[in-house]
Amino acid sequence: MALNLRQKQTECIIRMLNLNQPLNPNGTANEEVYKILIYDRFCQNILSPLIHVKDLRKHGVTLYFLIDKDRRPVHDVPAVYFVQPTQSNLQRIIDDTSKSLYDTFHLNFSSSIPRKLLEELASGTLKSNSVEKVSKVHDQYLEFVTLEDNLFSLAQQSTYVQLNDPSAGDKEIEEIIERVASGLFCVLVTLGVVPVIRCPRGGPAEMVASLLDQKLRDHLLSKNNLFTEGGGFMSSFQRPLLCIFDRNFELSVGIQHDFRYRPLVHDVLGLKLNRLNVQGEKGGMKSFELDSSDPFWSANSSLEFPEVAVEIETQLNKYKRDVEDVNKRTGGGSGAEFDGTDLIGNTKHLMNAVNSLPELTERKQVIDKHTNIATALLGQIKERSIDAFTKKESDLMMKGGLDRTELMGALKGKGTKMDKLRFAIMYLISTETINQSEVESVEAALKEAEADTSAFQYVKKIKSLNVSLAASANSASRSNIVDWAEKLYGQSISAVTAGVKNLLSSDQQLAVTRTVEALTEGKPNPEIDSYLFLDPRAPKSSSTGGSHVKGPFREAIVFMIGGGNYVEYGSLQELTQRQLTVKNVIYGATEILTGSELVEQLGVLGKKMGLGGPVASTSLSGH
Amino acid sequence: MSARHGQSSFRDRTVEFFNIVESLRRSNAPAANNVPYGSGRSDVVARREDPRSALINQSEFSRRASKIGLAIHQTSQKLPKLAKLAKRTSVFDDPTQEIQELTVVIKQEISGLNTALLDLQVVRNTQNDEGNNSRDTTTHSATVVDNLKNRLMDTTKEFKDVLTMRTENMKIHENRRQLFSSNASKESTNPFVRQRPLAAKAAASESVPVPWANGSSSSSSQLVPRKQAEAESSPLLQQSQQQQQQQQQQMVPLQDTYMQSRAEALHNVESTIHELSSIFTQLATMVSQQGEIAIRIDQNMEDTLANVEGAQSQLARYLNSISSNRWLMIKIFFILIAFLMFFLFFVA
Repeated sequence: MALNLRQKQTECIIRMLNLNQPLNPNGTANEEVYKILIYDRFCQNILSPLIHVKDLRKHGVTLYFLIDKDRRPVHDVPAVYFVQPTQSNLQRIIDDTSKSLYDTFHLNFSSSIPRKLLEELASGTLKSNSVEKVSKVHDQYLEFVTLEDNLFSLAQQSTYVQLNDPSAGDKEIEEIIERVASGLFCVLVTLGVVPVIRCPRGGPAEMVASLLDQKLRDHLLSKNNLFTEGGGFMSSFQRPLLCIFDRNFELSVGIQHDFRYRPLVHDVLGLKLNRLNVQGEKGGMKSFELDSSDPFWSANSSLEFPEVAVEIETQLNKYKRDVEDVNKRTGGGSGAEFDGTDLIGNTKHLMNAVNSLPELTERKQVIDKHTNIATALLGQIKERSIDAFTKKESDLMMKGGLDRTELMGALKGKGTKMDKLRFAIMYLISTETINQSEVESVEAALKEAEADTSAFQYVKKIKSLNVSLAASANSASRSNIVDWAEKLYGQSISAVTAGVKNLLSSDQQLAVTRTVEALTEGKPNPEIDSYLFLDPRAPKSSSTGGSHVKGPFREAIVFMIGGGNYVEYGSLQELTQRQLTVKNVIYGATEILTGSELVEQLGVLGKKMGLGGPVASTSLSGH
Repeated sequence: MSARHGQSSFRDRTVEFFNIVESLRRSNAPAANNVPYGSGRSDVVARREDPRSALINQSEFSRRASKIGLAIHQTSQKLPKLAKLAKRTSVFDDPTQEIQELTVVIKQEISGLNTALLDLQVVRNTQNDEGNNSRDTTTHSATVVDNLKNRLMDTTKEFKDVLTMRTENMKIHENRRQLFSSNASKESTNPFVRQRPLAAKAAASESVPVPWANGSSSSSSQLVPRKQAEAESSPLLQQSQQQQQQQQQQMVPLQDTYMQSRAEALHNVESTIHELSSIFTQLATMVSQQGEIAIRIDQNMEDTLANVEGAQSQLARYLNSISSNRWLMIKIFFILIAFLMFFLFFVA
């Protein structure tokens, strides 16, 4: 029984569309009710990868609107609202009820609506005498976007910047942590599991983990909680492990170029909410959808790009063969011999051919789609020589340095400003000691390419601070640093070095993957012994937890604060295939970032610290 | 199990909401001396009565729609039963009678639903013509009608599939019988060579016309001759096993009835297929290609965004052209004045 987040969330949404009534076994409501669906922008993002218009129709939704749209009354029809519990949304709902746009209102909130807002809703509807219009109010705990069966995103933007911002105060940080923790709480409620939490000590990961632990504990105290149903059969060894990491744990993965299909599509073509816009051959934009309903995508998305191209070719050939086969069976020649015995056989062939047509056209469509995508990708790869970047970056990671001429060659060769910047940052992260002259020449090359170097400066600053900090040899224990900004500062320094070490010691595997593997195995391992251990089900006094919850875990949820990416996702999915103990890993992040987006966030941080000031101005003019 | 999970992953806060409403109402009521509450009530009633005419129309529409929806559901529930019956491959236990009846019922229901849908469309059109409905209401009702049409289409398709399967099965039966009877004819020599297969075929023909005969709307009249044929042929079949020699004299009338029933069956098949195909074309024209199979809900928005951006750039271009025009005008004006000055100074 593997946890399948996508399926679970879809189930929840379908139940909501059926006005939260129990469903028939065949998945439709007992009673046919036509209704209208109203959602806000956030919830639209939740819905659109999961459910298509066809499915909406199947569940009796005739119209679907954004809440901000100017809507006209439709009498005698119930409306289902699916919105975030915010002030403006509530105001819209109150307006709608007072105008009695619809017959009844079924309100569903994506997360738990605070008591205060509920009171406001009550007083608003009371004032306009439309209380009886509101028939149901529900908390849905669905405030996250599921992209694939095992991939989710909280869709909280630029968390990395906010968490690492040196000017951020306690209150802002706490707000972000609260937001992340409640998002995670929604995921766990939807999955219906109470996991065992592990995370590295210190930093945002620990804060989120302890807050989540607190939330779960508080929740489990109340008798009628959301996990009671799950408690019966979820014995301790079946509980999943939740590993929370911070982006600083391994920064390089977010920045490096990758040559596998899924990361490439995401990084180069900008896959967003499982949707992709590609410039068509005739100039128009074509949009494709890539999710688990596409067999080619789910089978090949983790392959390297050249292999994918080969695979497309073989699929195309196979398709052509099949078409020929069908033609041969039904085609022209047999029409002449029209004797009685063969008649039945003939029609049967024809029927078979007709029946196989939809399947063939579907395959053709899939092949066409991926040919289009691959063509677009290939154009970009040639133009930016992404393959060279990928190769050199992996060399950097493996050897911890590169020949100077090669380094400069990459920086002066083809590629966009962003590619060069990413390469330069990778160089910084990978080298253990800073070679001053080399760094300067790299910087000069970047400036020559008119790239915005503030991100580079930021990483460099942290790196150099780290060197001096190492010299003072942990004299001041980190807990003494009270000031948040400073603490975070120190955090990112140590984290960056940690990332370096991780990279140096591993060949191909990512640090996150290795750590998750070690954590799920549950064997004593010096690398993970310092990790925080939280069990929300255990009584508070015994903080260490029994040995029974330390054992090997079959299911794991990995969460990355500050932006995840498809490289890590792919690596974790590979882990489940390679390893025996872990059967299923769900990967989530505050948002799914491409390399350039993460570098942009680093650049924002660099600017906030006043780094790269003069360069920043030139780069702005350069944009 | 998943259902149990689904149950637990949300929280009903309706009660809490109404509690708050109740407490607020109580706290408001004494202060306002109960007057606003009461008047508010009557307001609501008044407001509700106001759009009543539209409401009645609309509810008439939705009542019909839900009735049709329910009927389609019921019809489609009968289909699996029919399929189960039709799937029975046993030669001797052929539930012909049941299949007949069921097919007639389903056939009638589908054509009834078809006309009901047309009526519904008329109702919708008249409502739209009256023009007292909002834009969204119109779209809503259009979607409802489309949805019902699609479902009816699906049901009809399923029905057709079941019938096709039935004929397939019968073909297989016939083949089997032929095989059996031809073997028999080889064993027993001469006089019965022609007669044996005929008898077998008569039995087979008993089942051949079945679904189609029932399928046609005028089936009741056609059932009579078919039943006669059945009555005549089935005893003959038994007889043929035992009293072949006496039967020889009966051969000629038997052949006649067989041919007759055969021709009728073919005719029935033809007419039913024709009828079904007409229903299909009718539905196909009604169900416009909606093309919403793979649409995502955010697609519209993106299109809108693109349109808005396009409009903006057009506006910008227009602004540019206007401003350049303005410059042109100023220039021309300037030149005119210059000429005027020239004339004033040098000519006058």
